[in-house]
Order: sequence, then C-alpha cells, then structure tokens
Amino acid sequence: MRRVFWIACAALSAWSLGYIATERGEPVNSIWLVTAAVCTYLIGYRFYAGWVAAKVMMLNDQRATPAERLRNGHDFEPTNKWILFGHHFAAIAGPGPLVGPTLAAQFGYLPGTLWIIIGAVLGGAVQDFIILFCSIRRDGKSLGAMARQEIGRTGGLIALVTVFLIMIILLAVVGLVVVNALKDSPWGTFTIAATMPIAIVMGVYLRYLRPGKVLECSAIGFVLILLSVFAGEWISRSAYAPWFTWSGPVLAISVILYGFAASALPVWLLLAPRDYLSTFVKLGVVFLLAVGILVAHPQLELPAFTRFVDGNGPIFGGKIFPFCFITIACGAISGFHALISSGTTPKMISSEAHAWPVGYGSMLLESFVAIMAMVAACSLQPGVFFAINSPAGVVGATPAAATATISSWGYPVTTADMDTLARDVGEKNLFYRTGGAPSLALGMAHIFSRSGGGRSIIGFWYHFAIMFEALFILTIIDAGTRVGRFMLQDLLGQMWTPLGRTSWMPGVLISSAAVVGAWGYFLYQGVLDPLGGINTLWPLFGIANQLLAAVALCVATTILVKMHRARYMWITCVPLAWLVLVCFVAGYQKIFSESPNIGFLAQADQLTTALSNGVVPAAKVAATQTQIFNARLDAVVCGVFLILVAAILVDSTRVWLRILRGHRTAELGEAPFVMTHLRPEEI
Amino acid sequence: MRQFFYIIRLLLRELADENAYARHLAVHKAEHSAEEWRRFSDARLKAKYSRAKCC
Repeated sequence: MRRVFWIACAALSAWSLGYIATERGEPVNSIWLVTAAVCTYLIGYRFYAGWVAAKVMMLNDQRATPAERLRNGHDFEPTNKWILFGHHFAAIAGPGPLVGPTLAAQFGYLPGTLWIIIGAVLGGAVQDFIILFCSIRRDGKSLGAMARQEIGRTGGLIALVTVFLIMIILLAVVGLVVVNALKDSPWGTFTIAATMPIAIVMGVYLRYLRPGKVLECSAIGFVLILLSVFAGEWISRSAYAPWFTWSGPVLAISVILYGFAASALPVWLLLAPRDYLSTFVKLGVVFLLAVGILVAHPQLELPAFTRFVDGNGPIFGGKIFPFCFITIACGAISGFHALISSGTTPKMISSEAHAWPVGYGSMLLESFVAIMAMVAACSLQPGVFFAINSPAGVVGATPAAATATISSWGYPVTTADMDTLARDVGEKNLFYRTGGAPSLALGMAHIFSRSGGGRSIIGFWYHFAIMFEALFILTIIDAGTRVGRFMLQDLLGQMWTPLGRTSWMPGVLISSAAVVGAWGYFLYQGVLDPLGGINTLWPLFGIANQLLAAVALCVATTILVKMHRARYMWITCVPLAWLVLVCFVAGYQKIFSESPNIGFLAQADQLTTALSNGVVPAAKVAATQTQIFNARLDAVVCGVFLILVAAILVDSTRVWLRILRGHRTAELGEAPFVMTHLRPEEI
Repeated sequence: MRQFFYIIRLLLRELADENAYARHLAVHKAEHSAEEWRRFSDARLKAKYSRAKCC
C-alpha cells in the first residue's frame, strides 16, 4: 500500500510539473503549482533526504546530542521534534521567500517556480540539513567556528566578514521594501507607526504588570494591532491623513532613526515584545495564506514566460540565467539558514535522527511559502503587476505614460483600472510601488477576500498584509542593527578595549551609528534611485546571500571529505558548483555588463557621459554625481563579495585535495561519541 | 487531534519563551516572581539578539 502511495505521488509530481511546464495559452490554475511542489517535496523528503540521512551522514539515534550531554536548562535542552520543527521554521522564515518570488515573477511563473522546487529539494534543504548535522556533532558550534576549525583561520574570518557585509545589504534592502510599501500611504504608515507604542505597552506589561505571560501579552498586542489596521482606514479618510502621508526620503530617514534608537534602547522595551508578536503573526498568516490558496485556488494571470526573459525587465535588469537564481534566494537556498542551523536549533535537538525533519523538512516548508508568494503575485493581472512594480524611471513619470508603456509590452492596463484598484484598497496610488511588498499584499488580499468577506474588505486585507510584512521586516532591522553593532564592537574592541564593551554607552552609540550609517546610506541611495533602488540592492543582496550559502556548502563538503565520504561529496558539490557559477556570472555582469540597466560601471559611465555632454539639468548635477559614486561603490561591494568567496573556495579546495591525496590527515572536530540515556518519552 | 493541539500549545509556549522560563525555574529551583522573570528574560534576550535574524 505504501509503495502504491509513493508511485502515485511520483506520478502526480511528474504530471503536475509537466503540465505547468508545457501548458501555454490557457491560464493555469494555482493548484497545479501547489500539487507539483507538495508531491516533489514528499518524494525529495522521503527518498533523497532519507538516503542522505542513512548513507551519507549515517545519523545515529544512539548518539547523545549536545542538548543531552550539555543540558543546562537554558540553551541546551532536548526538545520535541515537532516543537523544534516549528521553532526552526519560525527562525528561518523571513521576508526573503515572500519578496524574492514576487520580483522574479517578472520572468513569468515558470522559471521561479521550478527553481524554488528543485533548488530547495537538491540544494537549500540539503545545506540546512547537513549544516545542522555538522553543528550537532560539534556541540552546536556556529558556521564561522566550524569554518575556522575545519578549513582554517582564513575561512573563519571570511565567514565573519561575509556575514557582516550581507547584514548591511540585507538591512538596506528590507528597509527599502518597507519604505516603498508605506510611501504616501497614511493607512499603512499609521498602522506601522502604531506598532511601536503597542510594542512598548507590551514591553512594560511583560516586565512590570504580568511578568512571564508572553502568550497573554502577545494576544493583547495582536488585538491592538488589528484595531490599528481598522483605525488606519479612519485616519486615511480624516483630516489627520497628511500627518501620516510621508514621502520616500522622509520614510527612509524615519526608518534609519528608528533603527538607531531600537539598537540602543533596552531590548525588552521594543524589540523583544514586537519580535514575539511578529513571530506569531508570521506563522498565522502563512497558515492563513495556505488555506486561502486552497479555498480560492486562483488562476495564474501571468504567463509561464514573459517577454522579459530577454533581460530587459522593468523590475530588475538581466536574463533568467543568472538573475532568476539570485533573485529567489531564501525560497530555494539561503546562506542565512546556515547561521540558524548552526545557532539555537542544534542545541535543542534531542536525537540526531530529528535533523532530517527539522533541517530538511523546515526548508521544504519555507520553499512552500515561496510557492505561495509566487501564486499570490502571479494571480494579479500582468498589467497591474508591472504597473505596481515598475519604477518611474523605466515606464514614465506619469500614470498615463506608465500605462501606455506597459500596455505596449502586451500587458494591457489603464489608469482607470489602477485608480479603481487603489480606491478599493484604500490607497491614493499604486503606481511605482517597487520592492515587491505592495504587489504581494495585493495578491494576498485578493486571495483572502475571495476566501471570505468579498471585495468589500479587500482594503482591510491589503493593509493587514502590509502590516504583516512591515512588522517582521522592522524586527529584522532592530535585531540586525543590534547584531551588527555587536560584531563591530568585537572588531573595534581589539583596537581599543572600551569600544568592545557592550555596556559602555559611548561605544554603543558610536558602533550603532556606524552600522546604521552603513545600511542607511544604501537605503537612502535606493530611495533616491530613479530606477527604484530594488534593481540595484536586491541583486546585491541575492548575490551576497547565495555566496554565504557557498561558504556553508564549502564547510559541509570539507566535513564530508574528512568523514571519508568523498564519494558522496557531489551532494554538496553540485549545489555549490551551481551557486558559484550563478553568483560569479551575476557578479561579473553586475559589475562589467555593458548595459547600464545591468552593469554598475556602465551605469556610472552613462551618467558621466551625460554630465560631460551637458545633458543633465543644472539642478540635477549634484544628484547625478552622487549616483555615479553610488554605482561605483556598488561595483566595489559586489567585487569584494566575489573575492571573499573565491578565497574561501580556494582555501577549501586546497584542504580537500590535500586530504584526498593523503598529504593531510583528516582531523574531524567532532565531539566524542557518548551513548544516549534519554528515554523514548523524553525524545 | 488532542495530541496535535497539545503540540501546537507547546510550540506557542516555546516561541514565547514560556517553556524556557519554566525550565529556568526548575534548574534554579526558584519560584516565579517579577524579579526572577526579569533576571531570566534579560539573559535570554541578550543571547537571542546577539545572533543574526534570518532574511
């Protein structure tokens, strides 16, 4: 019977994938995407991951994990596998799998969907699974510590610097997503502004009024946030609307100031309560979206391939290869997950066998979130999708020009359509809302309203979705700035000891200002960029994130070689080779492409020529000079990423070859074997 | 079904650090109090927010 189930599952997977890959002309129902994804995940989980667990890693459930051996009631604690699964999923799920697929829908639904499914099953989930396993065998060591131990000091240092640089770009890009979602939107801005006093009330409640009652406090916070979404509508129609109608630059400065304050404020006051709340809202919305898609099963309005496979897309420049594979990072493979898989999770796992569902299974669920985001984005009319996501610098500065340009691409849309849509969701304007968040929110609002409540509450659902996205993005900004500050203080402390002390206020303020200044600079240049900023920042973030995945896969391969599993090293080397190819081609094109739409240097040259020819109006000379500087700076940042990863790749290859040729002993940094004494009910 | 909701409840408590607090009280053989919660929470949050959050 079991065999019949798996044969049926494989057949359904092949049929669904074949259908979405070959169907042309007629709109495809989203259920086909969901079926293809779920069946492929099941096959991958049961057979590929099962094989990796049994043959490659040889998971041993008799071996005591760090949670048992080092149990202290704090970090190290054996935890039920399903609880840990949820905990790990909540930790890896961020805005990446939502925003990336939305942007990559520029190519149509097919390229992104196939990459999400195949990339996760053969790459992302394998990376998370193996890094989790390696960390379990090393007492829960971090990725950086494992790189230092298994590859060498250079590898460890590169991992640390890469993480720091990625954080700067990540914070800038997610900040830009929030700014573009809230620009000129009093409803959205009020709702998000309200989360700050709500979080402070929650912080005080939890600290002084009902200490320890986090669930109770989060429930109250959730009710207050729902009320703020309703109040936002009233504000947007009232005389107070101008108070909350902010331009992009003003919002960017507010986010920068907020990041600085949140990084320096006590963590219990703002960051922690909002993080609790955003975690619950995130899990709830993911569940709600899955139910919504099953109930509404919308048709995909975007075609399998759009005309922008030629590389001239309005959202970001570049062809499917390599840009689809760096735009969708977190839904397919994400280096950041390696930090989580070598963070809290390995310290809580009660049996090695649980690394399979927790490491591999959680990534498949994350990939499914990306599929849902793809469905939400592709369920919009193509004309509407491009009108929201295209910058004014590409489609024209007026709605009439924008609709004419987009319609000329073969995706008809009118200003009347867009006005009606904006009115329905309680916005003044939906043009030029780059960044992915507004179109994703609109797609989600369509799905939610079709699942219940009808069109009359689409405005509520749109702003609920914006609130959901902005809530956890701002949490990433607070937490990321704080972590960046700690990393910087670590480095500065080696030059002058007081700067390294996290309790010394001048050190805290200086390092907070430096970190906020770094990501704030990229955020602000993104907001001022006439091409929308996303065209520049998202590819940089994607390259950086995939390069971190390459670092993680180098560590994983090194450990496999040292474990005498060299004949299986292809399981990490194949995704590693793909990522290195994708990232280096993308990085090369972003720096050196002759098209100003893609290459940073070509963009700088084009602007320089315009300046020297006197084409730029006098009022815009200074701004153009800044743009030229920024384009060159972006090229340098991209180059630094590539050099760092080339260095760790060379270092790792050297280690592999020396071990394989017998010039170096394969010294594994594993903790010694200890038999487990946990009873089955404790596992 | 009962088992499913039990796991969900435990998951929510884990995400809310309420399970971790219960373990903290057990390990330190302490009684719940506002002061004890603040001691636990400060240490927990300091460790939690010295690690990067995922994108």
